[in-house]
Amino acid sequence: MKRRAWPLLGVLAFGYAFLYVPILLLIFYSFNESRLVTVWSGFSVKWYGELLHNRQLLDAAWLSIRIAATNATVAVVLGTLAANALVRHGRFRGRTGLELLLTAPLVMPDVIIGLSLLLLFVALRELIGWPDGRGFTTITIAHITFSMAYVAVVVRSRLGQMDASLEEAAMDLGARPLGVYRQITLPLIAPALLSGWLLAFTLSLDDLVIASFVSGPGATTLPMVVYSSVRMGVSPQINALATLIVAVVTLAVVIAGISLGRKPGR
Amino acid sequence: MAVSNERRLLEPWQDPKAPPYLRIDRVTKTFGDLYAVDDVSLNIFKGEFFSLLGSSGCGKSTLLRLLAGFEYPTSGRIYIDGVDVTDVPPYARPVNMMFQSYALFPHMTVEQNVEFGLKQDRVAKKERQERVGEMLDLLKIMELRKRRPDQLSGGQRQRVALARSLARHPKLLLLDEPLGALDKRLRESTQFELVNLQERLGITFVTVTHDQEEAMTMSTRIAVMDAGQIMQVDTPTAIYEFPNCRLTAEFIGSVNLFEGKVMEREGDQVLIEARHGGILRMRSLHPHPLGTPVTVAIRPEKMRLSDGPAEDGVNRLSGVVEDIAYLGDVSIYRIRANGGQLVEMTLTNIQPRTEQALTWEQDVSVEWSPTSGVVLTE
Amino acid sequence: MSIGAGPQSQGSRRLSRLVNIGIPYVWLGVFFLLPFVIVLQISVAEPALAQPPYTALWEWIDDGLLQIQINLRNFMLIGEDDIYLAAFLNSLWVALVCTLLCLLLGYPMAYAIATAPERWRVLLLMLIVLPFWTSFLIRVYAWIGILNSGGLLNTFLLWLGVIDQPMQILHTQTAVYIGILYSYLPFMILPLYANLTRLDPTLLEAAEDLGCRPMRAFVEITLPLSKPGIIAGSMLVFIPVVGEFVIPDLLGGPDSLMVGKLLWTEFFSNQDWPLASALAILLLGLLVVPFVLMQRMQQTMDETQP
Repeated sequence: MKRRAWPLLGVLAFGYAFLYVPILLLIFYSFNESRLVTVWSGFSVKWYGELLHNRQLLDAAWLSIRIAATNATVAVVLGTLAANALVRHGRFRGRTGLELLLTAPLVMPDVIIGLSLLLLFVALRELIGWPDGRGFTTITIAHITFSMAYVAVVVRSRLGQMDASLEEAAMDLGARPLGVYRQITLPLIAPALLSGWLLAFTLSLDDLVIASFVSGPGATTLPMVVYSSVRMGVSPQINALATLIVAVVTLAVVIAGISLGRKPGR
Repeated sequence: MAVSNERRLLEPWQDPKAPPYLRIDRVTKTFGDLYAVDDVSLNIFKGEFFSLLGSSGCGKSTLLRLLAGFEYPTSGRIYIDGVDVTDVPPYARPVNMMFQSYALFPHMTVEQNVEFGLKQDRVAKKERQERVGEMLDLLKIMELRKRRPDQLSGGQRQRVALARSLARHPKLLLLDEPLGALDKRLRESTQFELVNLQERLGITFVTVTHDQEEAMTMSTRIAVMDAGQIMQVDTPTAIYEFPNCRLTAEFIGSVNLFEGKVMEREGDQVLIEARHGGILRMRSLHPHPLGTPVTVAIRPEKMRLSDGPAEDGVNRLSGVVEDIAYLGDVSIYRIRANGGQLVEMTLTNIQPRTEQALTWEQDVSVEWSPTSGVVLTE
Repeated sequence: MSIGAGPQSQGSRRLSRLVNIGIPYVWLGVFFLLPFVIVLQISVAEPALAQPPYTALWEWIDDGLLQIQINLRNFMLIGEDDIYLAAFLNSLWVALVCTLLCLLLGYPMAYAIATAPERWRVLLLMLIVLPFWTSFLIRVYAWIGILNSGGLLNTFLLWLGVIDQPMQILHTQTAVYIGILYSYLPFMILPLYANLTRLDPTLLEAAEDLGCRPMRAFVEITLPLSKPGIIAGSMLVFIPVVGEFVIPDLLGGPDSLMVGKLLWTEFFSNQDWPLASALAILLLGLLVVPFVLMQRMQQTMDETQP
């Protein structure tokens, strides 16, 4: 880089420090013996022990993971259909409408989505008796609704980059439309489907506000437990939880990086 | 005119009784207001190497896509080997296409790419392998069979694409700018290879190209297209020597055009008064009425150049050398005629350039014979 | 050249249309669009001690007569009490300040990443996205420990001798700014990066060749061409921040009242569903303009994509 790049590098370094110092501190203090954040009183893993015996938190984590996995799977299907529609079906009637419906959830404040879906579920129950009680199903539906928009963005850009003549070539060589999709399109957009799935999974695992609105008694997700404990102030158990999450994510990214890096080509 | 049997075999289009292998019957394709293909009829015969030639946007690619089945005609029918395929989807047509981008499947090896079409046809595994082997041998790419497309050079990709589209033994092979992505040297050697391959397999080839040289070297016949219409269909020689309109004349090679009016007819020749002055005497079998505006087209290499000034006369113009472009084998001279017109002509450089007498600003005269060009009415 | 799928058999094409367009449409229609209609309906209802806690909008009274009650109480209430107006104004202000902060820090970062050597880019970008994959809630929580009066920042500043007694940062608007900047920075950087890498570097070379100094070339070429990225990134930050709940709730204090938090309180603490709905409607109305702006920009970006 040229000389004029130095101030730029300074900003870059500051930005990364800003992003990472809080996380690193969180990890550091998760091994602190003391409850207090500022006082270092010796290395300990006792908070991890407590975390693993926190029944309420573990139950909530399990519920959240089930919701996140279901949500991600359905959202990938719906998001891919929507991406197909936008990339493959040209200027159909209602295209602008679909684009709006797929962009709005990306920026819509959580409180609005949460409130409106809760009111929908209440109204539906009055009308048709479904959903009977709120919990896993209602939270999952709510999460799918905004996750599919994110999946659509990811898959759409991948589909758009694909050379359209690849599908024509397959058809020219005798593959029927469904065969073309299975043999050519799906394998080529598979990386996008995977990252879409992971994105939807994370979004769901991360959501506090919407889940709080649409969940009912007895269904407490992980963010809801974290939230109520965090409101009470600093809690070393949450530090330990954060460390575990960061470890899992880093591991996943490293594995993904290695397996993608090994593949020949792009 | 008596046509020998042998000639009829080589040039089936000369035989009115020969059945066309591919028949395009009054096909039109519109996109909104745009007539991409405008009422095109064309007969292509078995074993031909046929080229659709034109500049970009002339509709040649759309015509090719109509043959492949990627587009449906707005009106008109398409027959292959006597069967109406107009409404047959691409996967069920006995036609294969080599794409301009080659469209090799990036997630499959060379072998898997070539095998793809046979798999769709549910050919038994053993036969499949045999035929893939045949194709890889034919195109001399056996050693590449385990590679993926991104590990191949441009020339290798082209061969794989060709092998893949030939593996199903199509009745018709469509090639979209088959040499467009290759560099110039490779393009020249591949041209001959493609022709040899086509002659050996006996498959009918239809190619699309914007490169006139390519079309001239490879094709049995060429269709020159413009604005969705076919301007002329003929052998390369006929298209070059006897263009039927200004557009074809100008599109293929360079040409000098003289506008004028028909003054007199003498047997199979006409006398034409040029707009820029001078009289032209040209051979023409057309019954031009006197006074019709016509254009005379003369190729630059069919003119003779003489040193020194001369009187203007019939088929003779005098002028000054304005520009010389030395191309090695030939030189192009631009001569400003006294009437103000610019005449281009090419001379083979028989002698080293340093010994040539002609130079800039020199007075010269240009001559040609009545059979050196054609008289065009459009 | 025509774009798009050619003619498969017409039947399968129609089926594919139906599935690809129809299913997402129905899902989003039922679970995204329809709910807004219900919110609108409940925002003109009255709260009631019932389950659900609001009055019905319409009622069948005898003879099959339909009686519709529209009650503007909620909107009037919002108009009368200054706290709502203050919350709306403060939300907009916070969103504006945070968008500018994100732009100020995010633009140079995106620019630096986009102009970094090719082999570094993926890693640098990955590091921007990585925090996003860890829990948002926990990342906000991390700042509680830092900004506390007995927290790390104060301890550090005391140790440096910059201050002689702890500052109150947590539970102030400043803490909200920091938390939002921290959480939303990646949303600013990503579209900017996407936009800047698409910029043809020969344009800058051409500008310099024509006598433009680098700084000026940046101002005259890069900046105007990155406008779509700036607007897209700004909207991705601005719109959700206006309705943000978690950050003001955990880091903010009494001076940082925001609509999202107010709506939450009305709903969960006061059980006033109609009032919460009315707030949601007003918030939605407020966000329509920036949303349309974003959508436009998105389309121009799609169209200019090579």
